[in-house]
Amino acid sequence: MPLPPASGTGKYFARAAKSIRLIRQGCTNRPFFHISVTHRRRLNSQPVIEQLGSYDPMPNFNNEKLVALNLERMKFWLGQGAHVTTPVAELLGLSGFFPIHPRSYMTAWRNRRTERENLEKQKEAEAAATSKAE
Amino acid sequence: MSLHKFIHKNVVLQYNHFQLLAISSRKLSIIPSVYDGEQDPGPKFFSSGVQALLKRLTRPDFSKVFRKRTNSNRPVLKTPEYKFLTNEELQSEFSKANKTAARLLQMPPVVKVHQPINEVLSKDPALVGYDNTKYLFTDITFGVPNEDRLIVERDPDGTLQMCDHDTRKRLNQGRKVREPMMFADEEKLNGLLEAEKYEYILDRACIQYEPDELSYQKVTSITYQHVDMKTNYKLLRSTRHFGPLAFYLTWHQSMDNLMLELLQTGVIREAVLLMGLRQAIHEDIAFASDLNALVHQVLPMPVQASKPDSLSEVDIQLDNQCIDCVVKYIAKNSAMKSQQELALQGFREDYQQMVELSRGLRKAHGEA
Repeated sequence: MPLPPASGTGKYFARAAKSIRLIRQGCTNRPFFHISVTHRRRLNSQPVIEQLGSYDPMPNFNNEKLVALNLERMKFWLGQGAHVTTPVAELLGLSGFFPIHPRSYMTAWRNRRTERENLEKQKEAEAAATSKAE
Repeated sequence: MSLHKFIHKNVVLQYNHFQLLAISSRKLSIIPSVYDGEQDPGPKFFSSGVQALLKRLTRPDFSKVFRKRTNSNRPVLKTPEYKFLTNEELQSEFSKANKTAARLLQMPPVVKVHQPINEVLSKDPALVGYDNTKYLFTDITFGVPNEDRLIVERDPDGTLQMCDHDTRKRLNQGRKVREPMMFADEEKLNGLLEAEKYEYILDRACIQYEPDELSYQKVTSITYQHVDMKTNYKLLRSTRHFGPLAFYLTWHQSMDNLMLELLQTGVIREAVLLMGLRQAIHEDIAFASDLNALVHQVLPMPVQASKPDSLSEVDIQLDNQCIDCVVKYIAKNSAMKSQQELALQGFREDYQQMVELSRGLRKAHGEA
């Protein structure tokens, strides 16, 4: 059986719950995601209703992560009552289309905390090394 | 290796480096001047009067416009077709060829350099540490042209802002992402200029850049100045780049070398058109009304690719008016007075001979 087109097959039940989610498309060790709208109860391997964009989580040559969003269709499906999964909501928050997702803030301050702790550990190790030398 | 040796080697290296710099700076005497002043050249360039003047100054020669090109898009050259045509069919073929030539000679636009985009949409310091890479968001809504496309970036410090032109260009694609070496490396561009590959440079610049980009205007400016310096106008005539060249020179008040070339090659009518162009751009010519009337007379005349065999009385009268106009121009506006006067003197002598010859011929034929 041939693969369905990446843009989606467009078949759906009007009253069934939809969700806008990331669908992994890359290969081993090379993640790449489509942002697609599909039935909530459908698996990610099944054909989607429509593709709304893409997200490349690996930074490119210029250290940038590229996200493409079809905002017009996104608005349409949101109007139809589609649910948005957290990773997509985070991306939409970063793009300024949604308010920033709370999880983005959580990730940010957790990263800051880890960095701070690492710095403290490093300082302690340095202090220990200097006291040993004396 | 001893310290002494090391120092010696280093010094030699530095000396070589210095020499290289000196060579490159000697070659790079051209300073690009771009359209970044107060005044926007766009409206002047696109006005119908100036367009007509520039197209006429291009002096289209069909054998050059329709020459064979090594073009990657057309791998197979067609064999020419020979047909017997009636007069009407021939006329329609001519009008078709004219249309194709007009399309091939469409001039790259001359516009002001664009302003950098720094529109900050929001600043969120609470996002510091979220990621150490930039996020670029592109709106891929169907039917939005690339120039209106919404492209924003979220920086690692939490700032959300509109992307600048270079990022926009990269994301919109359509051309090489990395600048070709001939534009990135000045030595290579100089090599091409020395080889007089002007059309190649300008065509490639049209493909790679937008006309309102700083790099485009720098490259074209350097090329135009090189053409002007070497008086190589001939190489750009009947290509689409001659109009912007003439406009550039006139805009920057340095069209007197082109004027001199026109006088030396005896194309007095085009000299008048060039004066008309100067008047249209700068409005600094005292005898404007006479000049404009003359320009209106000259514009509908056919292009003189070679010297005419015989001159009619109407032609002689028109040419004399042109000469008078040029004399006035040289006296009042020219920056190369003596050279242009000399060239005009030479033209007058030649022209007088031609006039006598054609009058004599007509007399011999019993027409006058």
